[in-house]
Amino acid sequence: MIKITNLEKVYRTDEVETVALNKLTLEIKEGEFVAVMGPSGCGKSTLLNIVGLLDDPDSGSFMFNGIEVAKFNERKRADLRKRNIGFVFQSFNLIDELTVFENVELPLIYTGVKGNERKKRVEEVLDKMQIMHRRNHYPQQLSGGQQQRVAVARAVVNKPKLILADEPTGNLDSHNGNEVMQLLTELNEQGTTVVMVTHSEHDARYSHRIIRMLDGQTVLENIMV
Amino acid sequence: MIKNYFKIAWRNIVRQKGYSAINIIGLAIGIAACLLILQYVSFELSYENFQANKSRIYRVRQDRYDNGKLSTQWVSGAYAVGNSFKDAIPEIEDFVKVVRNDKVVTEVNHQPVELKKVFFASSSFFRIFTYPLVAGNADKALSEPFTAAISETTARILYGTTNAVGKRLNLNRNSDYTITAVYKDAPNNTQLKPDILLSYETFKKFVGPDNNPDAAWLWDGCLTYLLLRKDANPAVVEKKFIPIVDKFTAADMKKYNAAVVYSLQPMTDIHLYSHYMTEPEANGDGKTIYLLLGIAFFIAIIAWVNYINLATARAVNRAREVGIRKTVGSQRRQLIIQFLSESALLNAFALLLALLIVSIAVPGFNKLSGQHLTFSLFSKTSFWLALGGLFTIGVFLSGLYPAFVLSAFRPIDVLKGKMTATTKGALLRKGLVVFQFTASLFLLIGTLTVYRQIQYMRKQSLGINIDQTLVVNAPTVVTDSTYIRNMNALKDELSGQTSVKGVAISTSIPGESVRWNAGAIKLVGADETTQKQYRVIGMDYDYMKMYGIKLIAGRGFSKDYGDDEHSVVFNKRGFEQLGLNKPEDAIGKKIDFWGQQYTIIGVSENFHQQSLRESFEPLIFRLIPDIRGYLSVRTPASKAGQTITQVKSSWDKFFPGNTFEYFFLDDHFDEQYRADQRFGQVFGLFTSLAILVACLGLFGLASFTTLQRTKEIGIRKVLGASVPRILKLLYQEFAILLLIAFVIAVPVAWFTIGDWLQGYAFRINIHWSYFIVPFVTLVVIAMLTVSFQSIKAAIANPVKSLRTE
Repeated sequence: MIKITNLEKVYRTDEVETVALNKLTLEIKEGEFVAVMGPSGCGKSTLLNIVGLLDDPDSGSFMFNGIEVAKFNERKRADLRKRNIGFVFQSFNLIDELTVFENVELPLIYTGVKGNERKKRVEEVLDKMQIMHRRNHYPQQLSGGQQQRVAVARAVVNKPKLILADEPTGNLDSHNGNEVMQLLTELNEQGTTVVMVTHSEHDARYSHRIIRMLDGQTVLENIMV
Repeated sequence: MIKNYFKIAWRNIVRQKGYSAINIIGLAIGIAACLLILQYVSFELSYENFQANKSRIYRVRQDRYDNGKLSTQWVSGAYAVGNSFKDAIPEIEDFVKVVRNDKVVTEVNHQPVELKKVFFASSSFFRIFTYPLVAGNADKALSEPFTAAISETTARILYGTTNAVGKRLNLNRNSDYTITAVYKDAPNNTQLKPDILLSYETFKKFVGPDNNPDAAWLWDGCLTYLLLRKDANPAVVEKKFIPIVDKFTAADMKKYNAAVVYSLQPMTDIHLYSHYMTEPEANGDGKTIYLLLGIAFFIAIIAWVNYINLATARAVNRAREVGIRKTVGSQRRQLIIQFLSESALLNAFALLLALLIVSIAVPGFNKLSGQHLTFSLFSKTSFWLALGGLFTIGVFLSGLYPAFVLSAFRPIDVLKGKMTATTKGALLRKGLVVFQFTASLFLLIGTLTVYRQIQYMRKQSLGINIDQTLVVNAPTVVTDSTYIRNMNALKDELSGQTSVKGVAISTSIPGESVRWNAGAIKLVGADETTQKQYRVIGMDYDYMKMYGIKLIAGRGFSKDYGDDEHSVVFNKRGFEQLGLNKPEDAIGKKIDFWGQQYTIIGVSENFHQQSLRESFEPLIFRLIPDIRGYLSVRTPASKAGQTITQVKSSWDKFFPGNTFEYFFLDDHFDEQYRADQRFGQVFGLFTSLAILVACLGLFGLASFTTLQRTKEIGIRKVLGASVPRILKLLYQEFAILLLIAFVIAVPVAWFTIGDWLQGYAFRINIHWSYFIVPFVTLVVIAMLTVSFQSIKAAIANPVKSLRTE
């Protein structure tokens, strides 16, 4: 599904040049659950942003489902992103002005799904995430665990092929964290590819494979048994 | 999708109450002010628009040159102009002659009724102008002597019906007319609003068979309007006037070393751009109109700028939302539409509030501006077009920039919290604030100047005493043989009253232009080329004394000398035109005045016959004991009521059949400043509104910037900064912007007010304080506005402010 070859990304300010990805090569197959680990600044978030089509690499190749996307412009990236990728962030990133229902509905609006169909699909996914009873609440009225469940609901409502999770349990206690990991595992079992950046060895154990990064390169891969 | 945009927009408006209120109130005030001014301006600009031939009608006006210098400018010209030009210039399709007449009196049920706006008009009047007839035949209406056309209102007053064709009408107990047409009342936006039109053929009868006006080239006073052919070029037509005028007037003009030049005024330009002698109605002022229009847009722009400033200052708060939306699939175009929807919703609320403000403010605005806007305003297409225009401009002008800025955020930056306020955005906001300060300062300087000038004009000594003077309009229904006897009897009767301190008759009174213009006046024996134009006031023995006109040489009129009917008194300006050295030199000299000789017996000090807008004119006072004119009665204010009753009873006794119309001269004189005062008030009001709107924005902006600096303030305080130092830090930013605004506003204002003051013959000198006082005022207002937030931030506990980060 994802084939990355010799990917480079350098951040430049006036005086400092930081190499975030250094000729990184990596492949992720459809249906995999991959955890990316490594110390702060090793480039794991940059990798996630490029895989999520939020950022573009300086050089190298990035094939997504057999299509070279490294040189895609903003519009094409947005189009591909909204149809194929769901995001889960550490800080949930829900829109405060929208209710639970409306937050989850948002990706469907942008992909042009009709009103009735939207309602059906949002209710379906809220039900699955067990937050249907909170559908008319605003994010600030929910607990952290509930908010992350809404975020996961939003990430999956469009039935994406790939879910990218950036420290999904970072802001949660262990109980809520485990619940979210359980949700991701279930989604993966139903066929969705999951790539997760994490600092937590505990969370990483939910994955099939751990990629360890250092200074913009993969240094080790652990296959989980 | 759109529903979602508006939903978000609505929730944002509700959640950010302060921010929304500032924007909505500011925009509403801006839009309301703009709407009111636009309606006022559009009325002023609509003059003569109803005339179907408006683009082809031109008025012929006249400039007179003496010794190569421009001496007099009239809107009327010689009587022969219309027919002579038409005969010789093929581009002229038609012409109409209009001659202004004094008011006339008739009787309805034995009660005198006055018709004030009276004109003689040639029969082409209804062909050229658009005054639709409700009865009668347009072609024949004014073709015969002693026929008249009347307005619908006049017809109703006189006959109780508009079906008045064929009715008889007696005017001034003197001549009988047949009504040949009734026309619809003229709209307000025209210079010609006749109550009655008498046929020009009647005028010809009045002047007698020996004086054919159609051949008179040295006899002024006729308004001539030309209807040019569709393809005619007015500049070419004007050139063709020269040989014709030359042919008929050159011989006489050469003798006097004078010249007359005729030119064309487009009918639609007259109201705002024509300010010459003998206008049929006081005109508006184009400069004022465009100045007001400028103010209207200033206010609207200030309000729009608020929106831009607050929206971009708040951008950081919205950035996360943009990031999320982009991550879940929104494209930039969709975000731009979303932010424009917010702008639209906010503007729509402002519009509703503006409508409310307009409907509440209309009566007050009318009172202030002297306009007659009504609620029918809401049924006018132009009003809704203006509203739609303001809304559209508002949405796009204020919404587009923030929409582009906000939609450009990169999701990875904002979601990772890397988003900070950009220096570019801050610079733009500062630039816009400078613009707001500059506009406010400019308006403040303008307001102050207008007030100072009006105050100056009203406080200056006029050089003549107009206090406690009751003036009665001249009688019109009177037979020549009995007039002087009755008038003298009336004066005697009034003079005997203890409440009356003086009585005088004159052809002009202070507070209006002298309508008697006499040319070809020179010292006896002097060269023909020294002939000059003068304004003449005819008066009785008492006028100069009663009005306290000061003499600088010689004496005034007196019965002691017996033959003062052949004497004249000049004012100083008039004396200067004679070309003599000292006023004393003029005494005893004789002048030629229309074929007769008069001896100069005195020279008076100049006095303000009119408002201080006008310069001193060369005046000649002539004693005409049986003159018909205004009756002035001096009476102490405490006895005014009693005097009015006495004058009325004497008036009715000696001049029966005449209406009794009186006014107090100081009010009448002040009337001349009414337009200036109104302008000052309107200017002042809208300046206050502009500053209010700007302050609203400033308040909002200060809140955001202070909020953004909360952490900085906290750290500074922890490190030992005192409250005044923190305040200085916060004020400094705005103080610099104020200074920049001052530097920009002063030269612009200097030029503008200098230009405006040029319109006044007697004016204040521009003084440095005219710029410093408004600046200090603005600084105080701005700093007070900023203080509210700054003081709060400066005195806050740093521990708290650091925790909020």
